[in-house]
Amino acid sequence: MASRGGGRGRGRGQLTFNMEAVGIGKGDALPPPTLQPSPLFPPLEFRPVPLPSGEEGEYVLALKQELRGAMRQLPYFIRPAVPKRDVERYSDKYQMSGPIDNAIDWNPDWRRLPRELKIRVRKLQKERTTILLPRRPPKTTEDKEETIQKLETLEKKEEEVTSEEDEEKEEEEEKEEEEEEEYDEEEHEEETDYIMSYFDNGEDFGGDSDDNMDEAIY
Amino acid sequence: MTQAEIKLCSLLLQEHFGEIVEKIGVHLIRTGSQPLRVIAHDTGTSLDQVKKALCVLIQHNLVIYQVHKRGVVEYEAQCSRVLRILRYPRYIYTAKTLYNDTGELIVEELLLNGKMTMSAVVKKVADRLTETMEDGKTMDYAEVANTFVRLADTHFVQRCPLVPAAENSDAGPPPPAPTLVINEKDMYLVPKLSLIGKGKRRRSSEEDATGEPKAKRPKHTPDNKEPIPDDGIYWQANLDRFHQHFRDQAIVSAVANRMDQTSSEIVRTMLRVSEITTPSSAPFTQPLSSNEIVRSLPVGYNISKQVLDQYLTLLADDPLEFVGKSGDSGGGMYVINLHKVLGSLATATLESVVQERFGSRCARIFRLVLQKKHLEQKQVEDFAMIPAKEAKDMLYKMLSENFISLQEIPKTPDHAPSRTFYLYTVNILSAARMLLHRCYKSIANLIERRQFETKENKRLLEKSQRVEAIIASMQATGAEEAQLQEIEEMITAPERQQLETLKRNVNKLDASEIQVDETIFLLESYIESTVKR
Repeated sequence: MASRGGGRGRGRGQLTFNMEAVGIGKGDALPPPTLQPSPLFPPLEFRPVPLPSGEEGEYVLALKQELRGAMRQLPYFIRPAVPKRDVERYSDKYQMSGPIDNAIDWNPDWRRLPRELKIRVRKLQKERTTILLPRRPPKTTEDKEETIQKLETLEKKEEEVTSEEDEEKEEEEEKEEEEEEEYDEEEHEEETDYIMSYFDNGEDFGGDSDDNMDEAIY
Repeated sequence: MTQAEIKLCSLLLQEHFGEIVEKIGVHLIRTGSQPLRVIAHDTGTSLDQVKKALCVLIQHNLVIYQVHKRGVVEYEAQCSRVLRILRYPRYIYTAKTLYNDTGELIVEELLLNGKMTMSAVVKKVADRLTETMEDGKTMDYAEVANTFVRLADTHFVQRCPLVPAAENSDAGPPPPAPTLVINEKDMYLVPKLSLIGKGKRRRSSEEDATGEPKAKRPKHTPDNKEPIPDDGIYWQANLDRFHQHFRDQAIVSAVANRMDQTSSEIVRTMLRVSEITTPSSAPFTQPLSSNEIVRSLPVGYNISKQVLDQYLTLLADDPLEFVGKSGDSGGGMYVINLHKVLGSLATATLESVVQERFGSRCARIFRLVLQKKHLEQKQVEDFAMIPAKEAKDMLYKMLSENFISLQEIPKTPDHAPSRTFYLYTVNILSAARMLLHRCYKSIANLIERRQFETKENKRLLEKSQRVEAIIASMQATGAEEAQLQEIEEMITAPERQQLETLKRNVNKLDASEIQVDETIFLLESYIESTVKR
């Protein structure tokens, strides 16, 4: 109402337009001035219409919730890197904190993407060796002969079964030069008496994915 | 992009793809087209994270890239496509109604993964279907492939633009990014694949009898070694076609509400026949002769030609003008006025919103002003037969919420307010835009509230999940009833009640989101139809 503001200077209460034209009769009480922002949850005058229920509505609802849960489990859901803890803990060795930071879990078709988006993943193998290093004797070469010999010697000592697994795995990795880590934790990492999946430091028990749950995920 | 849209996009991206993708996505939506390094610098995330996020976004068709001069690749986000994430359940449900579970799963896989090759989709869907079948039965690839072909024929899935075949190797260093091209004719062409195989069950219960450690099993199954026959041909869900289907559904149900079942069937037939021939943004369908309509009616309907003609005449004479007569050859040529229909649907939405928000008397005034186009204050009171004070109050309420606007008509060239007519009018387009903006805000609020509710009860939810996991594992190992009972009692009765309330609330919020999304679809279709003209 620019006219009202403009009239303020000349004389109080004088307006440049005819009030009756707008519909405010003479002597009508004007609504009180607004001194604060409107309330956050203003009271509703009329109740809202009920939501559609029925088979279709329920099915679409269930679909929506399932979809939400499913998308969280897909490799496209990128979780921020777990922050490094202050002290190196024993359990770190037994825990896979997800894909090594710079790799992608899934394989896009690199021909369709700009070249600059490709992340070099050579680091993967180097990191792998550093993790495995403490538990293994010095790195072997790819020479099959040596490996076989080593296998034989290792077979005698039962404790060393683990290294064999690791070396085989490393060999496979280096030969194929793939970027994927099909890392079957429980079987490959350490064939100690302790199977990986049984180790649980209790931190995120129960928050995992659900094989048998039919309920929707919130 | 309005702030409300950006906020909604941010919430959707965060819920479905995580925070990193959300940060990058929202930044791109806000600032438009940018190259990689600028994005990394402006958002303060490491280059690798940005690359990962961009890969995900491009895979899901949310971001496109373009090569500019000097080899710089710029990335641009598509805000409207991000908003479609809300509609995924509706797409999947539509596929289910049209093509059963197989179609449903195909569309679901395509939506969840952005784009996939046909063989990958078929394999995954067959596996998933096999999981749900009884023991011993498996799903054949051929059946799934059949459904896929049908989906492609009706344009519900389409090919993604292809990398052009690299013919010449003398072009110097390869371009920094491929320019993807797609030929209109090839968009729905299904490659000739001979997919032979059956779905596999997950080998959760089959252990090697010899106890051989799984490490010794060859790492690659034979499938991976074979070259994929349709390598490079990716498919995506064709959202426009789904939108066309929703629009047709809306039209048919509108006609059914206004007239009767038979006329809605006639309109449905007309729409079905012109599905493929009419482009989705056309103002009206291709003219159909009434002879053709008679021929294409579904088998169950045995109405004679005369009755059909009468129905068509009725439809064409209806003031809402859904159906129009465009000629007399072939027994009468009829078209469906798509743009007019969308306009009527948007208007009906507006009317309904006014009614539910302000009451039926306000709705009466609103419809009155709609009908008469421009009315003065006094005329409104007279025509609506509502006392002056209340009419004034209601008009101002609607005016303040921008459903009604004022039109000034000056009597004198100096526009003096005392000598100007002020007329109330409804501008449907601007009211629709305003309502759309409010819808975006509502959904953002709904999502936030749902997240808040879930966060409040996070501890309780985790506890209940733990208990269920324990129960499930105990049942698997065959525990007694008493033990199960004991575990179940770990959750006390008031906690159970709290969980119930939480579940109810979350369901209600979700259902509301779906409902608001339907309104968004109608309004967006209407606004789009006005823009294209």
